[in-house]
Amino acid sequence: MATAIEVENVVKRFGQTIALRGVSLEIREGELFAILGPSGCGKTTLLRIIAGFEVPDSGRVYLKGKDVTNVPPDKRGTVMVFQNWALWPHMTVYENVAFGLRLRKLPEAEIRRKVLQTLEMLGLRGLENRFPSQLSGGQQQRVALARALVVEPEVLLLDEPLSNLDAKLRLRLRGELKQLQKKLGITMVYVTHDQEEAMSLADRIALMRNGLIEQVGSPSTLYKKPKTLFTAAFLGRTSLLLGKVMDAGDDKVLVRAGEIDIVAQNHGLQKGEGAAVVIKAEGARMEPHKGRETVKIRGTVTVSMYVGAFVEVRVRIPGSKYEVMLDLPLDTPAPGPGQEVEFYVPLDNIHAYPIEEDVIKEIAEQA
Amino acid sequence: MSLERLKKAVFHPTKSDLEIVIFLYLPLVFILLGFVLPLLSTILSARGWEVFRDKYYLDLSWDAFSNIVEYKTIRNKIIITVKGFDLGVIGNSIVNAVLVTLTATLLGSSVAVLVGFYRFRGRRIFAALAYVPLLMAPFVNAYIIQRFVNPTLGYNTLSYIISKFFTEPLLGKTVIISFKNQAGVFLAQVLMFYPIVYINTLAALAAIDATLVEQALNLGARGFKLLRKIVLPLIVPGILAGSTLVFILSLEDVGGPIIFKYHKFISYEVYQSVAYQATQEIAKVASLSLIMLVAALTPLVVARQYLSLRYYARLARGAPRPFYGLKLGSKGYVLAYLIVLPIIMAAAIPQFGIIVLAFSERWVGALPDLLPADKLFTNFEALLSIEGIRRSILNSLYYLGQAIVFIAVLGFMAGYATARARLPGATLLDTLTSTPLAIPGLVVAFSYFVFFSKHNLGGFFDPQNVPYGVVHLLVLAYVMRRIPFTVRSVFTSVIQTPEELEEAARSLGSRRFRVLARIVLPLTWRGLIAGILLSSIYVLAEVSVSVTIGALGGDIYSSDHLGPITFALLQLTTMTTLVGGTQPQAKAAALAVLLMILEATVITISSRLARRGQALITV
Repeated sequence: MATAIEVENVVKRFGQTIALRGVSLEIREGELFAILGPSGCGKTTLLRIIAGFEVPDSGRVYLKGKDVTNVPPDKRGTVMVFQNWALWPHMTVYENVAFGLRLRKLPEAEIRRKVLQTLEMLGLRGLENRFPSQLSGGQQQRVALARALVVEPEVLLLDEPLSNLDAKLRLRLRGELKQLQKKLGITMVYVTHDQEEAMSLADRIALMRNGLIEQVGSPSTLYKKPKTLFTAAFLGRTSLLLGKVMDAGDDKVLVRAGEIDIVAQNHGLQKGEGAAVVIKAEGARMEPHKGRETVKIRGTVTVSMYVGAFVEVRVRIPGSKYEVMLDLPLDTPAPGPGQEVEFYVPLDNIHAYPIEEDVIKEIAEQA
Repeated sequence: MSLERLKKAVFHPTKSDLEIVIFLYLPLVFILLGFVLPLLSTILSARGWEVFRDKYYLDLSWDAFSNIVEYKTIRNKIIITVKGFDLGVIGNSIVNAVLVTLTATLLGSSVAVLVGFYRFRGRRIFAALAYVPLLMAPFVNAYIIQRFVNPTLGYNTLSYIISKFFTEPLLGKTVIISFKNQAGVFLAQVLMFYPIVYINTLAALAAIDATLVEQALNLGARGFKLLRKIVLPLIVPGILAGSTLVFILSLEDVGGPIIFKYHKFISYEVYQSVAYQATQEIAKVASLSLIMLVAALTPLVVARQYLSLRYYARLARGAPRPFYGLKLGSKGYVLAYLIVLPIIMAAAIPQFGIIVLAFSERWVGALPDLLPADKLFTNFEALLSIEGIRRSILNSLYYLGQAIVFIAVLGFMAGYATARARLPGATLLDTLTSTPLAIPGLVVAFSYFVFFSKHNLGGFFDPQNVPYGVVHLLVLAYVMRRIPFTVRSVFTSVIQTPEELEEAARSLGSRRFRVLARIVLPLTWRGLIAGILLSSIYVLAEVSVSVTIGALGGDIYSSDHLGPITFALLQLTTMTTLVGGTQPQAKAAALAVLLMILEATVITISSRLARRGQALITV
């Protein structure tokens, strides 16, 4: 697949704050690419630099191989859908959607045909003469999308477009957006802080932290093979323990945390080093898994609560201040608080990394 | 910033475009050349520091306070004359301004807390009455106050009310109380300016999040403790904003000194030097202007410094909920009706007095002589029939017509640029477009007079070039002094319009010019019109430049003088005779009534358009 967007070593400062610290990435034509990360990581700044609303202090941006770093936003061929949708309140749905076509000086009949066709595609027919204030949140979001899609942009940039909607509508529109992207084959760059949204929508994800890209890859790669401590801890429901490496092999490592030893996948640890162990909550059982390598975790239950699809249990590791969060299937009789228990977690779900104080602090703040 | 970096920043194709460059730098250059340069070059040339050695200008001896109040009795008549102090021109100006500010702050904030924080019967009447003094009627309002308290052989209006209704029937004594000199100016200024603190405090009270007060109530805070610990810290920015404005207004007020015929104030010295072209005193007046400017700016800088540390009032999460007030207790009712209401009514007296005088033949003794029913509108008819007065109205409209074009165009450009431009100079423009509100108008008038006497583009702005130079100078001064209202109004409208609405259009391929026409103007026109209306009314009510530069084209006895309405108000209130039968002051009152009606209408429309209360007051 050809490259649609290339960002090369982009740095951006706002006064004393460094928003991007040398970001590079490639986005392929026709893919839905998500930029994921916590608040303040620089993801929206990166998107706005691609759109041309911000200028990088250094680095370049290429669209289809052409350097557009100094090209104003109205001449880039990228169209952006904003978090608040930015619908012009003084224009009707029709006028909002037709705006971009009028700028391109298309004949009025052609404009009408395209606008109505796009509105039809997005289930908005009949609402042409309404003003944005007369629409529901979902309809407004679709109008914003229609306004962007109608001009057939080379790249569609979306800045958390679903974050202002309620959970159910968000789920529905997420599915519709994915279908639409596949149908039109358009390159989409989607910024979000919602990992579930990124995982379910994107072909590939760039996970950002503190103005840098932590890892780029498919959702399953990021989830199952996190290269960094932050990637492992940020994605999914996770717990973090600190301990010391008792033994280290190429693939596995034995870490002592409190009074227990935990086997984890090794990500560059040596014997005797301090280790940060990330345990994903899902897949935990109260008996060993058949045909799958599992790790035993022993401790005292502090909290046990029903959360719908599973039972969340928090287990205090003996001799430490750490708690591990585990999701047990509903068919398992959940232990009560104060009970001493043993759990089994798949080895795939436990990763150990060298300790990075700043990452640990950040993860703790987000918890 | 190096020239290369500056060039890169300004002409960067994605950071800027031609439209934003023009919108930012055109008003900036205009203000720098038309306001900052004349002001700085004149003020910095101040050389007359001998004023500090002259007792007429500065007298810090105890003698200054030796004659504050005179008390004597003649048979059953008690005569009390309050004169105030005499610290010399500089001392009087500054100490008087401090006292006026403190008194106005105490009064204004107390009334505002009562009206804005408590619910009680008659609250709306209190609120409405407190707004009345905001209607500007330059010189005539001071004249009415002077009618009430001037020293006289018989009764003045205040003594008439006190004696006839209280002391004579109760004690058998006549009490004659009068205010003159500094005390008269002080009284007039407190009554004229206290509503500025009132309206700013009220705006601050309205912005308090109800949950903050409810939380304090919930934890047991009541009464004075609630006010002192929770409410007062939250409204301090509003009170300070009002107080600093009162201080500036008091310093530059020339109406009080003229009407009370006590000229030992900086404002009068500066006024006199321009209006009577006392060019031999320029070095001294430049020094006095500099003192006035520094004195005016000092509290502003201190207040800004203080306020910049106090943003906690807005830390609450989520949308603030307005506070609808606590129920007033019985003690509060007594306080409200026996103390606060009389104060509010006293402050509204000038405006009501102006209306009465407008329908009177004269007001010489204790009470005005009303016109007979068939001649009730004599004074209003005189406004059009007497050439000098009619000319002043036409002059005002003519100047306004020219000034408003510049105000609208440059105001919109500057308002938009300060909200949106991220280029070098944007912060400077933001500061400079607010600065004229804090610079005493008389300092502007004096600077213009001196600077443009020397540098006037071949006579175009020459104050000696009558009429053209004077007209151009007046229009320039009106634009500079009143553009802040339009800039702030446009700025507020633009800043309240999400930038994404513009970016969405740009992202679809629209140039900024089209974005401005199709997106920005349709969404911000209310703010623009509201700003233009406010600027217009403040052009019409402008005093300092109007009575100084405006005086250079002759007086209102002449049919082709160049003075605007406020100049005519000054002349009518200070002259003894004029054709037309009724007292000139009565004609001034009629003119002032028209001005007040116009002000009330414009401020109402403007507030509705901008969908917010206006807390901006100036002279």
